Amino acid sequence: MARPSFFGLLLIAPALAMIGVLFLYPLGFSLASAFTGPDGGASLASFQKAYELYSTDILFTLFIVIVSTLLTALFSIAIAGILTLSETPWLVAVLRSLYRWPLFIPFIVAAQCMRTFLAKNGLMNNSLVALGVIEPIQATSLLDWRGIIITFVWKQVPFVTLMLAGAMASIDRATIEAGRNLGASRLRVLIELVLPQVAQTLLVGLVLSFVTMLSVLSVPMMVAGSQPTMLTVDMAFRINSYGDYATANALGVISYVIAGTVAWIYLRHNVRREAQV
Amino acid sequence: MRKALYAAGFAALLFTSTASAQTLNVATAGDQNMVDYIKDYLGPLFEKQHPGVKVVAVGTGPGDGGSQKIYEKLEAQNKAGAPADFDVVVIHQKAAGTMVQENLLKKYRDSLPTGKLVTRDTATNSLGTDVSGYVMPMFHSQTAIAYNPDLIKEVPNSYVELRDWVKKNPKQFGYNGIKGGMSGVAFVTGWVAAFSGDAAKLEKGPYDAAEKAAWDKALADLKEFNKNVVITPGNAGTLDMLNRGEIAMGPVWVDMFYTWKAEGKLPPNMRLKLVSPGMPGQPMYYAVPAKTAQDKLATEFIALATSPEVQADGIVKRFNWYPGIDAKNLEGKLDQAVWNQLFADIPPDALSANGKSFPIGPYFNDILESYEKKVAN
Amino acid sequence: MSGKSVLSPAAEDFALKRPGGAEVSRPVPARTWTLGSTLLKVLALALFAFLLFGPLANLVLWSVAERWYAPFKLPVTYGLRYWEVVFRPTGDAMSSLATSVAIACLTVVVALAVSVPAGYALARLRLPWRTGLMILFLLPQAFPSVAIYINVARVFYGLGLTGTIPGVVLVHAAHGLVYSVWIAAAAFAAVDKDLELAARNIGASPLRTFFTITLPLAAPGIMASAIFVFLESLDEFTGTFFVGVPQVTTLPLLLYNASMGGNYQIASITALILLVPSVLFMIVIERFLKADVLSKVGQ
Repeated sequence: MARPSFFGLLLIAPALAMIGVLFLYPLGFSLASAFTGPDGGASLASFQKAYELYSTDILFTLFIVIVSTLLTALFSIAIAGILTLSETPWLVAVLRSLYRWPLFIPFIVAAQCMRTFLAKNGLMNNSLVALGVIEPIQATSLLDWRGIIITFVWKQVPFVTLMLAGAMASIDRATIEAGRNLGASRLRVLIELVLPQVAQTLLVGLVLSFVTMLSVLSVPMMVAGSQPTMLTVDMAFRINSYGDYATANALGVISYVIAGTVAWIYLRHNVRREAQV
Repeated sequence: MRKALYAAGFAALLFTSTASAQTLNVATAGDQNMVDYIKDYLGPLFEKQHPGVKVVAVGTGPGDGGSQKIYEKLEAQNKAGAPADFDVVVIHQKAAGTMVQENLLKKYRDSLPTGKLVTRDTATNSLGTDVSGYVMPMFHSQTAIAYNPDLIKEVPNSYVELRDWVKKNPKQFGYNGIKGGMSGVAFVTGWVAAFSGDAAKLEKGPYDAAEKAAWDKALADLKEFNKNVVITPGNAGTLDMLNRGEIAMGPVWVDMFYTWKAEGKLPPNMRLKLVSPGMPGQPMYYAVPAKTAQDKLATEFIALATSPEVQADGIVKRFNWYPGIDAKNLEGKLDQAVWNQLFADIPPDALSANGKSFPIGPYFNDILESYEKKVAN
Repeated sequence: MSGKSVLSPAAEDFALKRPGGAEVSRPVPARTWTLGSTLLKVLALALFAFLLFGPLANLVLWSVAERWYAPFKLPVTYGLRYWEVVFRPTGDAMSSLATSVAIACLTVVVALAVSVPAGYALARLRLPWRTGLMILFLLPQAFPSVAIYINVARVFYGLGLTGTIPGVVLVHAAHGLVYSVWIAAAAFAAVDKDLELAARNIGASPLRTFFTITLPLAAPGIMASAIFVFLESLDEFTGTFFVGVPQVTTLPLLLYNASMGGNYQIASITALILLVPSVLFMIVIERFLKADVLSKVGQ
């Protein structure tokens, strides 16, 4: 169906315009604002101020997002592995119906749940005390970095598992059968045979999760106290309390760099894979 | 299908638009209780007295951040030469000072019938800036340390005692840092005033930029102190943790404390203590933007809000604030039991001895920035 | 070796990660290995279900609590008072719900109006830099969005769009565009070209072919993207936090304000209201998003 591509460009123009105005222009604005000094010339003054005020928070953000991504990977591989390799049909059926639930729960609802669930006298601790698993005196509040990590992992595991399970379901079962026939345990089959074949999907899911976690404002604001906190909360604080766009945008650029590094690692891995094939 | 969606959306849009005969837009900074005050009490009262008028209240958020939002809106509209979105604004002291300096507010108090009912310093001086004529205090509030007497037998009486107590009892004290609410900010400025030596200079001025250096020791101590405390998400966060027994002590706003107790959100046995050498309190101000179309209605609204009846019934009785106008004007409008209840934990003499105001604007900003640089980072 | 299930690493990981150091372990009798392993699986599933649904159950508990303070482990007084507070006609929740739904509907309209032509162009027409364009639409997903929203709010300030419904709709639509363009492109690509060719052969004009053949066949996928955009808009918090405040209050903003204000009952009830469309969507999604559409996503 040969059509003049001019018409095609016309059809796609409104979408492009929206992306341009509502994403590319603010992106450029943020870069410009971060790199402009108080006198109007180019300078790194905002970055210096951001570092002076929030260096701990930058490290904190990195720590949380990296740990959450690793934990998400771990649990997703485990659950997807069970779904693919388990030999207990009822287990697979139940697990499949269970794991998806947090997927469509918005972050803000998850944050609200966790705020009361993970508190010192929250439902989790109270249940554990009631079951006799821990003593009342041992009950601790998880409403700090651990709460943020738990909330992120809780939300992102279904997403990555969904992608992984789909990818695992589409690989050739013969490879799994062959491995099992040769006497490998299911764990070994998972790690050495299945995982390499779905690594691509896993990485895509993890990179998307990583960037999503860097974008969330509601969870760190509602679940943890304000010191230390994630960069998104600091950006909001700078804007809402001081109208300080320069420092907030400097923090924004720092978060782009963090996301960009991960994306670059992924692309490099991709290119290397392509080169090997 | 799409047509139906569009129709539904359009209908819903019409439903939510607030076009009516006359609308009075009130923007208020502060916690939800500030918005509830207008939505549930003051708004309906005003509407009853002025049929055909609708009062629309929006909250812009707690702490100075909420006032900052109002300031930014007014400044942007002023620059654009457009009339203000809001007819009445309720703001914190720091923002009020800035707005007066930039001529964003209208002078109205001199012609206000209730204007003479307040003689306190706070009606004319907002953290060092002269605001006389531009603002009317809505209420006066005070921070104090709330504690659970069942868990704490020996309550600290001063900042020094508090510091030692926290060292011996880690993670039992909580406050919200400087983000998310003014109760934490009040605690921090009180700490700096207590440990840096010159509390009077911080409150009255003059501003001396070199003063910052004198705070280094106090801030280093605060950083040490923070290692043994819980940082809460905000004003309500501290109260909530006190409620859930996760902390045993923390700075709170006296009015929020009493309101929460009344609503069953705090155990009935909790008490308050105003530690020496003092903790700040603040008024919040009613103000009228310079370029509003409804200034007559706005001033009538403020006159109603600062009338002795409303101050007695709304401010003191319902919401447990100290009145904005002078207390003597409330005589006869308020029964003694309610009044005594307000002073149950903090008697009037303790209040006048240890109830301070926040530092003047420039010092206030310096303290906040130094906290972020030296304590939080 | 045969009894060691893949389940154990997961169970161990859960056990290791438990705060407070307590380990959930049960001794497994060597003889009744099958029974033991089944028991282990059931327990692990129960733990999994608790971790998954516990936070949600917590919401329900808070929504029926009227008075609840320490040291009580469960509410002191139960009641539906806060449901009445939330649902009264003059209450915040009703107007926030109406605002949220209105914004979501308008967002769907805008997003579809823009992404259906774009998706068709990407799927059927020869476009220069096609891969580049596809990546361009994916770009907003690659950048942490808080900084973007801050600056959008700044730009909107100058245009007088902050605190207005059109401003918020634009932000939500841009956010939803990423998904809707890709899904629309995939939906159009999944339509069998032969059917279009057949229609053209009989003499239908290109426009008529589009409206009578292509669009109806792609409709399920486009419906799915519409529902997805609707949900994303309903649940959107960060953009509305910067662009909509203070005049536009959506349900997520109401949730946030209630929660930060310590009003957990209202926050929980609002959260439950927000959950309803999400859960419905999850149950319904199987019907619309067919496998062949999904497999074409990204081509």
